[in-house]
Amino acid sequence: MFELNANLKQTFEETAKAMRLRLQQKPSVDALRFMVVDRGIGSFRMCQKLDCRGLSSIAQKGRIVGVDGSTNNAGGPFPYSFTLQQALAKVCSSKEEDVVITDAISPLTMKDAITEEEYRDFIKRNLAELEVKAALEALDKFNPRVVLLDGSLVRYKIESAPMWETLKNRALAQDAVLVGVVEGISTNIISSCLEDALELGGFPASDWEILFGLLQVGEILEIVPGLFKEGFRTFFMRSSLDPKPIGIDLLEEQQEYLAEVSNLIFTLTPQDGRGIPLWLDIIDKNVRITDAVMEGLLNTYLGEDYAEFLKPKRERRQM
Amino acid sequence: MQMQVVGLTTPQEVYVASKDRKFRINELLVLEDPYQGNLIGEVVESNSYNRFIPLSIGSSIHDADVLESLKHLGYSISEDEINIAKVKLITEASFPVVTGSSVRLPAFDEVRGHLLKGVREDGLLLGEIKNTEETAATMEDDLKGLCEMFSGGKLYKTKNVPFFLDLRSFQQYPHIGVFGGSGSGKSFGLRVIMEEIMKHGFPALMLDPHYEMEFSESQESSEEKRDFKDNFRKFQIGEHIGVEFLNLSRGDLLALLSAVSPLTEAMSSAIESLHLRGDTYLSFSNRLELLSEALEMGRLRIEQALKQDMEPMEREKYIKMRQLLEEYQNIPLPSVQGIAWRLRRLHNSGLFSHDIKPVKEAMMQGKLAVIQGPIWLLQVFSTYLLSNIYRKRRDYKDGELKGEASGDYFPPFIIATDEAHNFAPKGRDAATKGIITEIAQEGRKYGVFLILATQRPTLLDETVTAQLNTKIIFRTVRASDIGTISEETDIKAEEARRLPYLPSGDAFVSSPLFGRTVAIRVRFPHTRSPHTQNPLDEIQLHRESSEDKLFEAIKPHLPIYAANFARAVEEINRHAGANYEVRTLKAALDTLVEKGKLTRKASPLGDIYQATDI
Repeated sequence: MFELNANLKQTFEETAKAMRLRLQQKPSVDALRFMVVDRGIGSFRMCQKLDCRGLSSIAQKGRIVGVDGSTNNAGGPFPYSFTLQQALAKVCSSKEEDVVITDAISPLTMKDAITEEEYRDFIKRNLAELEVKAALEALDKFNPRVVLLDGSLVRYKIESAPMWETLKNRALAQDAVLVGVVEGISTNIISSCLEDALELGGFPASDWEILFGLLQVGEILEIVPGLFKEGFRTFFMRSSLDPKPIGIDLLEEQQEYLAEVSNLIFTLTPQDGRGIPLWLDIIDKNVRITDAVMEGLLNTYLGEDYAEFLKPKRERRQM
Repeated sequence: MQMQVVGLTTPQEVYVASKDRKFRINELLVLEDPYQGNLIGEVVESNSYNRFIPLSIGSSIHDADVLESLKHLGYSISEDEINIAKVKLITEASFPVVTGSSVRLPAFDEVRGHLLKGVREDGLLLGEIKNTEETAATMEDDLKGLCEMFSGGKLYKTKNVPFFLDLRSFQQYPHIGVFGGSGSGKSFGLRVIMEEIMKHGFPALMLDPHYEMEFSESQESSEEKRDFKDNFRKFQIGEHIGVEFLNLSRGDLLALLSAVSPLTEAMSSAIESLHLRGDTYLSFSNRLELLSEALEMGRLRIEQALKQDMEPMEREKYIKMRQLLEEYQNIPLPSVQGIAWRLRRLHNSGLFSHDIKPVKEAMMQGKLAVIQGPIWLLQVFSTYLLSNIYRKRRDYKDGELKGEASGDYFPPFIIATDEAHNFAPKGRDAATKGIITEIAQEGRKYGVFLILATQRPTLLDETVTAQLNTKIIFRTVRASDIGTISEETDIKAEEARRLPYLPSGDAFVSSPLFGRTVAIRVRFPHTRSPHTQNPLDEIQLHRESSEDKLFEAIKPHLPIYAANFARAVEEINRHAGANYEVRTLKAALDTLVEKGKLTRKASPLGDIYQATDI
């Protein structure tokens, strides 16, 4: 074995100690739950797994659709990069065709010159747009009751505002419930509300930190209206044995369906999984553009010699 | 339905994937390679894979409740699977197949050459080629539904491509091996082959140690009734046919006697000197008996006996004995006795009371001659019979070649047998081995073909096995036999692995004519074997009919009083010609009571048996 650098070792030890200390300072679960209720941040409620009848009553109103997107980059350094994007809307049925929308982008084919930063931003916005488009098409095609989108609804509102408005209006008109399922919670709203009560060594806490282990399996924390993202209703749910909850967004206009949606998501999530409804996982697997595909496309259309030219040195690393 | 080539390819082998079509082993596919044109491949392995249900345990996908809920919402995860087939190209491509090439099922005309060989009229219709329904749908109509199949308890017209074994190709590939364990459908297969040969009127000879090759009863369930009463003749050795002693060469005689039980060196040389040209059975056996008696008495006692007064016949006998003793003084007594015993056994079987003319006649008429007998006798007899008719055919053919077309015509023919390992065993001698080996090696020249069936190919003589060009292989479980089959055929490892699991009636045909192994299912025979009754049914049937008989016999004598059994027995025996005793009658009556045909009533005078009122 290598002799570990003494300095490195020490730094590690100190860091580990600090982490442990911070976790020890975190109030107990009971105390946190009390604080959340006491300060009017939200309320706790248990959801239920739906039985056949429950599922049928949803299915009667319409289908379940999931939407997800995927981006993969290939090629070399900017502007030689080549981006493939794909959005998929899949209806919960074994028979019907999926809605697939793909797009291929490269800085070299854009009308205006663009910086690397702008390009990255464009890609982000474009993907959101593709997903919204797919969702729109799915609304037309499948007449769904519930549309599960992978990621926060706010993201669409920010990154693809005009399209999002269309989608929102259409969904409201059709009485289709738009649901954003957030895997990684990155907000810190609850934590900032509790800031004074949490004395975590002066560092601000984030929401996932507080929510970790706070909920029981099948329990949701409904955040009071207005506290979170304007125009949306948000709740957190521990939908599986995994102690990290997921976040769920609804349109404010559709908040009456909160119970129905939470029960449905709880039902569709594997007990011992990471908490994401299986349907979204299936879609994720279907939509994903793998590196192998990208490489194959590049080799086929660019030729191996050019592909080799673009390949970063680091990919040739052998160790 | 979309299929395409996926993954790494080679010029010999590719993988083909499809989302909605399951592949079936042995089906043919067309690979549309953009550069090499259409290539034909055969599925050798078929897999299905569901990427959402991984093999690993503890994966979150295994939540059955969620899957059930999704199903309720209309999505069944099991339908989201990928089917993958390993496909071997029938002819090697020049370079690897292009990945992504689309794949489709062939139309019949594209693969005709791989499925049908020769002209249909000259083919033996053995059954269907498995898993060819879709292709068969594009076949010309007169090839459709040619035979009946039996599967899963149902009889139906085949929907697959028919399988023909070209009779004309026998000249090139003359001999057939039929392998398969018991219950594998081998006997059925053999029956079908023989039926087809009869349809063509090709002369044939079949050795039948199981007494099962009977072609006169058509299948009851079959739609097309067909029997072969006029196309075959059945001969039992000793009953209908036998050996003409007068025509026996010394070699034949030696073979016959050794077939009963192997001969010692001394016996063989004794026969050499004892058997004379022109001997009949009587003259030969008399000689043996007399010599044996003489050897037992010894010269001295014979001389003494001759000095006494006796009938002229008696005297003549002793003179003859003295003469034999002088002539054959070196032959030991046990040898003579041994020969005599063997000869008697052959005689008792009736072997010497008939000849083989009827067999030859049947074959001349283009019929199938079925030779039945216990296996030891079959061995003895067929040695003689096969050598005889083979020689006849050879002499005719050789004469023709030499331009001396003088010999009697004898047609080409097929020899078929089950339990072939008894007739040409590996590692030990059998009377028939010589002639079968000879035919295996040079029968082709003379148009004499072999069909050898056995459940133990490993026990079959290797020289013979090597000459079997076409092999029909049914289910085989024994590892050693599978090993032999793999060595002797072009069967692939994937197919060898399937051998123990083949359903009864399914077989692989390995033939140089096809250049690959063809998976077939043998058709339903037109006729049935006399042994198809289940032993359990037989017992029940027999029991019922004997009870009925008993009841009929007893009926006129009812009621029967237990006190008066003796008289009842007497009367019943007299009228019905039976021979009951008091004890057996009582048991029989009790059985009938049990079956409800009689009732037993107790009375002061003992039980009374009465007919049950209906």
